[in-house]
Amino acid sequence: MNIIEIENLTYSYPASKKPILKNINLQVEKGDFLAVIGNNGCGKSTFCKTLNGLIPHFITGDFEGSVTVDGLNTLESDVGTLACKAGYVYQDFENQIVRPTVLDDASYACLNYAMEDYKERGREALSLCSLEGREDDYIWQLSGGQTHLLALAGAVSLRPDILILDEPIAQLDPSHADRIYNVLRELNEKHGKTIIVIEHHTEYIADYCKHVMLMKDGSIAWKLPTDEALRRVDELQSCNIFPPQVTVAAHRMEQEGRFSKEQTLPTTVEEGKTVFKSLRYHLPFPCKKPAKGKREPVVEFKDVSIAYRSVKGEDRVIFDRLNLEIHRGEKIALIGSNGAGKSTLMKLMVGLLKPGDGDIMLDGESIRRKKTESLSKKISLVYQNPEEMFIKDSIQADIAYAMQVRNIDNYKERTNELLARFNLTELKNRDGRLLSGGQMRRASLAIGIALNPGILLLDEPTANLDIATRKEIMRTLNDMKEVTETVMIATHDMQLVCEWAERIVVLCQGKVVADGTRDEIFGRRDIVETVGIRPPEIFYMGQALNKKALCYTVDEFLERFKEV
Amino acid sequence: MKMKKKLSENILDKFSIDFLRTQVLKNAYGNDDTVIAALDPRILIVWYLFMGLVPWFVNNLWFLMACFILVLVTTKLARVAGLVLLLFVIGVFTQTGYLLVVSLFFGGNASTVVSLLILTLKVATCSLASITVFSGLDPDRLSNGLMWYGCPERLSFSISYAYRVLPMLMGEFQNILLSFRMRGNPPEHETFAGKVKYLFYQVKVIMHAFYPLMLNTAKRSRTTVEALEIKGYRYAAVNKAVKKMKFSTLKVTYNDLLFLAVSFLWISLSVLASTLA
Amino acid sequence: MQLVKKQTATQSQKLMVFVLTMALYGLATLFTELLPKFQVGFVEFSVEFFLFIPLTLAILFDPLSAALGAATGELVFSEIMLGQFGGLGELEKFLTVTIGVYIAGRMVRNPANRKMVCLASITGTAVQLLMGTIVDIMKVQFAVEDFEAVAGLPESVFATEGFAFLNDLLFSGILFCLLPTMFLVPRLYGKIEPLLGMRPRDEQTGLGGINIKVVIGAVIAFAVAAGAELLASSGTALIEWEADWAESGTALAVGLVTAAVVAVIALIALKYKAGKGEAEQI
Repeated sequence: MNIIEIENLTYSYPASKKPILKNINLQVEKGDFLAVIGNNGCGKSTFCKTLNGLIPHFITGDFEGSVTVDGLNTLESDVGTLACKAGYVYQDFENQIVRPTVLDDASYACLNYAMEDYKERGREALSLCSLEGREDDYIWQLSGGQTHLLALAGAVSLRPDILILDEPIAQLDPSHADRIYNVLRELNEKHGKTIIVIEHHTEYIADYCKHVMLMKDGSIAWKLPTDEALRRVDELQSCNIFPPQVTVAAHRMEQEGRFSKEQTLPTTVEEGKTVFKSLRYHLPFPCKKPAKGKREPVVEFKDVSIAYRSVKGEDRVIFDRLNLEIHRGEKIALIGSNGAGKSTLMKLMVGLLKPGDGDIMLDGESIRRKKTESLSKKISLVYQNPEEMFIKDSIQADIAYAMQVRNIDNYKERTNELLARFNLTELKNRDGRLLSGGQMRRASLAIGIALNPGILLLDEPTANLDIATRKEIMRTLNDMKEVTETVMIATHDMQLVCEWAERIVVLCQGKVVADGTRDEIFGRRDIVETVGIRPPEIFYMGQALNKKALCYTVDEFLERFKEV
Repeated sequence: MKMKKKLSENILDKFSIDFLRTQVLKNAYGNDDTVIAALDPRILIVWYLFMGLVPWFVNNLWFLMACFILVLVTTKLARVAGLVLLLFVIGVFTQTGYLLVVSLFFGGNASTVVSLLILTLKVATCSLASITVFSGLDPDRLSNGLMWYGCPERLSFSISYAYRVLPMLMGEFQNILLSFRMRGNPPEHETFAGKVKYLFYQVKVIMHAFYPLMLNTAKRSRTTVEALEIKGYRYAAVNKAVKKMKFSTLKVTYNDLLFLAVSFLWISLSVLASTLA
Repeated sequence: MQLVKKQTATQSQKLMVFVLTMALYGLATLFTELLPKFQVGFVEFSVEFFLFIPLTLAILFDPLSAALGAATGELVFSEIMLGQFGGLGELEKFLTVTIGVYIAGRMVRNPANRKMVCLASITGTAVQLLMGTIVDIMKVQFAVEDFEAVAGLPESVFATEGFAFLNDLLFSGILFCLLPTMFLVPRLYGKIEPLLGMRPRDEQTGLGGINIKVVIGAVIAFAVAAGAELLASSGTALIEWEADWAESGTALAVGLVTAAVVAVIALIALKYKAGKGEAEQI
């Protein structure tokens, strides 16, 4: 039975002449788990909003064709009725939560639709989304992942048959992401819900989704079963979508003639185990480790303690006597789960937070008595959310600002240089906020290095980006290696860690639990498991084939696993 | 001048927004398990109407003292955040301080002190009563209580939404100010002239900070309003059944009546005392 | 059908503007509430430091939603949240802010017209301040019997209030309302509207300018505001200089009676509600 039927849907937003959705025809079966993929701006989110009636009832515009959801034509039903058929979770989900406490928000919609059992429905939804026991908590007490689950619970409480999620795991660390998808799988399999996700992470699509739909420029290119869809490696890559690393590896082998055409490409590590089982692991030539000379420390944390005031009860201790040394020229990745203290560590270094106890030395001088603005020539921080970096009305003005107020002589030339370097010259008069995700990141990086600081700190530079933009930012970061001496990146993105970092520092509950090269970190199972970090998929593939294998990129995998 | 100096030091440095945020949150949510918070909001609103209005019409010192002590006790019971109390003290002080100047100007005498004391008690009682009710009550219960008395639904929605959005807004505002702080170059503020300059600089920064904040908040509010539509906010506003369901969570218990009775007893005692004196 | 759709669309946009203004202006007034007030003798610098926020938004979007949003934001964030709620007197501020912002918003038909924006923002501020001044003067007039008879009193009141008004308008009004609005409107115009899914205001989409209806509405609202404030402050500070009625028992009696009446009314109302609820359930 088809739960969604769309015929000849064409839609354009009120103020624009070009249609954003063009002649869409689609059937979705009841109980499907569908991933919608496509470039940024191809109309994925708009498409999803036509399913719950927000378009055309709430957002007007030119609407042609028909959308039928569970037998109801969306044009003829109102948003309220449709909300009980299709629940929607936004990408910026925290703005969708409007009540101060958890149970209250989960049951809010039911209350508004005058359902007598609204409290029970709220509770039920919370337990389905594994938020039991948090009913009376306030929203700000939840972690990012829990907040997302709450947004989901708010949608589930109306008991819709369809759930639509816009990039559910973009801001989450791997363990939270797993939790979301496990909840979704349970809703799908045990409760028969039809689930539609907009998703960039093909590894998750491979593991959880049943069908994949590719959108291109407002039309549907195809809808196929997941395996088949992910095997279309060339087509996906041409749309800036990156198939699972396992699939890419096999595809490359196929091109090199190492893989017979008859065999289907694997999409998960499990499939990879059988497909690649004939491969042998070859130890790489032990490359000479660069002699670890005594490197000069640029930042030293000396017994630093800091705690946040909390609303109720005890203060929350973030660091208790933390010690850490950062040396000149290092490229450090700072990893750890949400809330481990990564952002706090960075804010301490730029003087935005003062340590409660202990001291931080920058170039041998204590920063305790220094003003933040005087530090900014030496050390600079780029926020996780680039929108908060834009304080002027054009990116040109934003990049120039710090230099301008410091009366740096050739600040105009330097601004133009930076604009050119980050490929932003054409956009220089635009407001940073109105740029695309990747452009925003590039602009924020340009702002960060405007004063030519010796140390650059980046907080989650690749969060919230689709994979194509992520690759682009990764390239930019690699280019920047020569420009800034010492760089530290806090991130969940293990591909970035593996390809970029020379030293990895693992934070867990305010303590440095591991510190070393990638082999020293990922090679230690205990750390990987206790801290909940996740190496790239290809690393798991290698491990599954040979316990000794430590390969972090597809290139390394192909190099070290050979037929003979 | 001293105040100005203080002000210039305070705005961005010591008086951090983080501190404000925790204080406001503490005030809103940190005291949901107190005696006051457990009372029925409708009863408390009636109580507030009395404590907030009647003292204005009475000039009896005994009576005002009694009212003042009563609200002092309730404020203590409501576990109000320190910052709010500080504001209260400053507020009362400036109000009577201002009046002292006025009364001296008009040629005051010994009785001025007494009348000023009375006035101070009035001002203090009313503010403490409002602090007890509005800070002591959980925002949701407060808004339900107000709605029961016929306040527009929009207002009660605004109250609970305000509490939801405040932590996010403050966080964002703080980060924007930090951006200014990291990249900006404030004037030196060792000398007095520098301090004045610094004050103007800070005011300018705060004003400028609203430009990004406006755009970022606009982005947010679009999602919020769409979500409200999905969640049936507009249906509920015109649906009587929903209102009834909301009100069904309100219940007057013996505690509430007891609270009223005790207050009343205390006040009547003061009346008795004043007639005896 | 088509008509209904249009209606809901604008309603949602109004709600967006309301929510936006409420959040922003509320946050701003929260700060002003926390800053010490400048007070020099008589003259209180009573300017709303952040009035530029609702002014800007009212010029760019639906003026009424922005005006109400601003007033609600102030009420909720700075009065209720901090427990600084002053009772009926707050109504005066609520309404004067609403009127001032609304009038400013209505004046501008095209936000790209800088002169108009400038004129509107200063007018809005002036209207808000002027209403406050009138209410203040009336307060003294009502409170002091034989207002005209006391030698020099009317003059001194008019002089101080008038000075305060001019001072607020010329100093703080220009510094905190006019300049920031002039800074923000052109920068936000055309940028912020798409974020809310709206079309920027221009000559066609703008509401008509100020007309009789607006003026009458504003006057009525102002009358209510003044009435509320006078009611709230009757018996306050200023009455003290006169009153010797404090010593008589009547005042006490009035207090007690009021208390009793309020309590009884509330109890009856509660009982009535409860009874009705049961009856309906059965």
